[in-house]
Amino acid sequence: MLEYQNLFTRVQVRHAPDPGLPVDMGATGARYGKPFLLSLAGRIGDAQIGPIYFGWAGILSLLFGFIAIEIIGLNMWASVGWDPVQFVRQLPWLALEPPPPQFGLRIPPLEQGGWYLMAGFFLTVSILLWWVRTYQRARALGMGTHLPWAFASAIFLYLSFFFQPLLVGSWSEMVPFGVFPHLDWTSAFSIRYGNLYYNPFHALSIVFLYGSAVLFAMHGATILAVARMGGEREIEQITDRGTAAERSMLFWRWTMGFNATMESIHRWAWWFAVLTTFTGGIGILLTGTVVDNWYMWGQKHGLVATYPTQNMITPDQAEFLRGRYQGTSPDSFPRYLAPAAAAVPMMMDSTMAPPDSATADTTVVPVTVPPDAPPPSDDVNDALFSSPRMNR
Amino acid sequence: MSALSARTSTVVALAVTVGLTACDLGEKEVVQVGYRGTSMEQTYDMNRVDAKFSQVAIPAVLPPAGESPPGPLPWQNVQVLNDISVAEFNRTMIAMSTWVAGTGNCAYCHNLANFAADTLPSGEPIYTKIVARRMLQMTRHINSQYSEHVKNTGVTCYTCHVGKPLPNGLWFYASQNDYLRHYLDRDGARVISKTLEPTNNNRSSVKQTEWTYALMISQSKSLGVNCTYCHNTRAFSSWEQAPPARVTAFHGILMMRDVNTNFLASLEPVYPAVRLGPMGDAPKAQCVTCHNGAYKPLYGAQMTKDYPAMWGRSDWNGVPFPGIYGPAAPTDSMGVSADSTAAVPTDTVPAGVRASPSASVTLPAGTAARGGPQR
Repeated sequence: MLEYQNLFTRVQVRHAPDPGLPVDMGATGARYGKPFLLSLAGRIGDAQIGPIYFGWAGILSLLFGFIAIEIIGLNMWASVGWDPVQFVRQLPWLALEPPPPQFGLRIPPLEQGGWYLMAGFFLTVSILLWWVRTYQRARALGMGTHLPWAFASAIFLYLSFFFQPLLVGSWSEMVPFGVFPHLDWTSAFSIRYGNLYYNPFHALSIVFLYGSAVLFAMHGATILAVARMGGEREIEQITDRGTAAERSMLFWRWTMGFNATMESIHRWAWWFAVLTTFTGGIGILLTGTVVDNWYMWGQKHGLVATYPTQNMITPDQAEFLRGRYQGTSPDSFPRYLAPAAAAVPMMMDSTMAPPDSATADTTVVPVTVPPDAPPPSDDVNDALFSSPRMNR
Repeated sequence: MSALSARTSTVVALAVTVGLTACDLGEKEVVQVGYRGTSMEQTYDMNRVDAKFSQVAIPAVLPPAGESPPGPLPWQNVQVLNDISVAEFNRTMIAMSTWVAGTGNCAYCHNLANFAADTLPSGEPIYTKIVARRMLQMTRHINSQYSEHVKNTGVTCYTCHVGKPLPNGLWFYASQNDYLRHYLDRDGARVISKTLEPTNNNRSSVKQTEWTYALMISQSKSLGVNCTYCHNTRAFSSWEQAPPARVTAFHGILMMRDVNTNFLASLEPVYPAVRLGPMGDAPKAQCVTCHNGAYKPLYGAQMTKDYPAMWGRSDWNGVPFPGIYGPAAPTDSMGVSADSTAAVPTDTVPAGVRASPSASVTLPAGTAARGGPQR
């Protein structure tokens, strides 16, 4: 196996597949599949594929994960009218969205976020079961549980996106499933809470994320650089320190006066990776619960640089320009508000702000299509949307 | 590795590098719009700006109106343009046909046998004429009430129509453009709290933020600008740190809501069904309808100053307009000009116009509307 094999050698040793350590079949279950060697896999790792361990947690995790992906995919497909071509073309933009704001934490109808909650439930169960699987495998092999706990840190961040909506009382805070939609959510989340860059835990998370990348580059480069002296055999280098370990540590001590050890560099990497998601999750949980506007938090705590005002706003203007919040329970498509009747006071003067919207938005009438109206012709709609800008 | 394959790899690597960085080799112009060092700037690709600019065609200004026949105005059914001379009126009509319907195409809006009529000889209402009348009222309303947005440039029919009967970017109710309802019946786009700690005043969710976000991106695309044209992106909600253009844009949103509510959506009963959206709503406007991708519509071309009828007032920038018949009649955005023609011949009243649920549409039948408040 990997013993005495250089990571980057192009020579692949063909051998009978290695069955691995003996395991207690009764306690941990069996491994499945006849192992074989795959030279393509050998170029990036071990050439041997299989056998694989399933176990109850793994099987259920795959099952729940499949259900979640299925719900997400079918909802996306339904959103383009079951058109396979459009499904593929628009896939990066398609989404399974969380319930709209007016549902709060209540259970919405299926098509208004019910499917979303269901998919989220199955995905979460799947991920938790996969954690159980990693824990069980680590124990079965007599390893430490560093790997499951690192994974748990990532799951903590994932679950923060579930607990934060619970804390602020609205499913609509949750992250939509979809490629660009979840990126848009990231942007919107930052904007809603007054710029997440001023959230110190966001900053910490970025420090650990970028730090992880730097440590990864330093460690990977160091080991590769001493591979010709057997440096990739890290365990042996720890217990029986050879010239590779000596040189790599000497390099850093010469370069920056301090060096990690063959063992401690992995603690550095583990903690940086774990703290990335852990601090990120804390930042999410504080947002909207303790702090509603991180920019103002930054102002209060001296994080915000001041520079000259661009607009001198008088109190009158400030009142006019104050803007109105989107409100507590806005309507959502496809409710349709009839055109304003003459009785509604109009803005005759642009210096007069319209009244607040809280009450105005609640007047909802059913859609009225004239009974004699023929179904809208596609030609006409095409003509109306003739502008190339309207085409997505 | 042979020398040849090494050279090939180098070329491929260079090509990939150039391709992935999306190098745009055109000449750039960077305009600073905020405090130095804060990246408050607009970057323009001059080739693209030139190409877009060359697509904008401004119709030649018609020669000034000549002498009008003496005596009172001869009109029977003129409800908006009754404060300008006969010659200026005819000049405006010709200009409008160029701007909207194609040169000389009077029949797009008129019964050629009886120009005063609102119906065809068959008795069918000419919805285009009724809509055009409302659009004239809208134009005057915009030019008089929204000078904070249109400034002294003003708008004409051409600003949006650019020579076509249907302007760009008309929208109907649909789930995909739900965010555009901020321009109609969904008030309030603010989502960022004014307090550090959460309060019950602002319960806006991330989802509502995405609606605002979509609205803002649609404005950005409509004007061909990026976020920093109107915002300091470190604090989107701050007016003090924002470029002044944001105040102009804010008035534009108010204008859009007013125009859509009181002029466009309320025309729904007038349109034939083919002009309505899937949910039976009238076509509505958004920023791109006038801006067409330019930070100022028609790149700020001064068109309206040559057409006094578009203003409903007697001067432009302190210079008196020629051909103004008298002091401008106050434009009543409810739809009835203050001194509407006293006698509307009954044969001009279309029989087939559906009853309007909204008195804000001037129907030629007019009796209900005329009973309303006169201002």
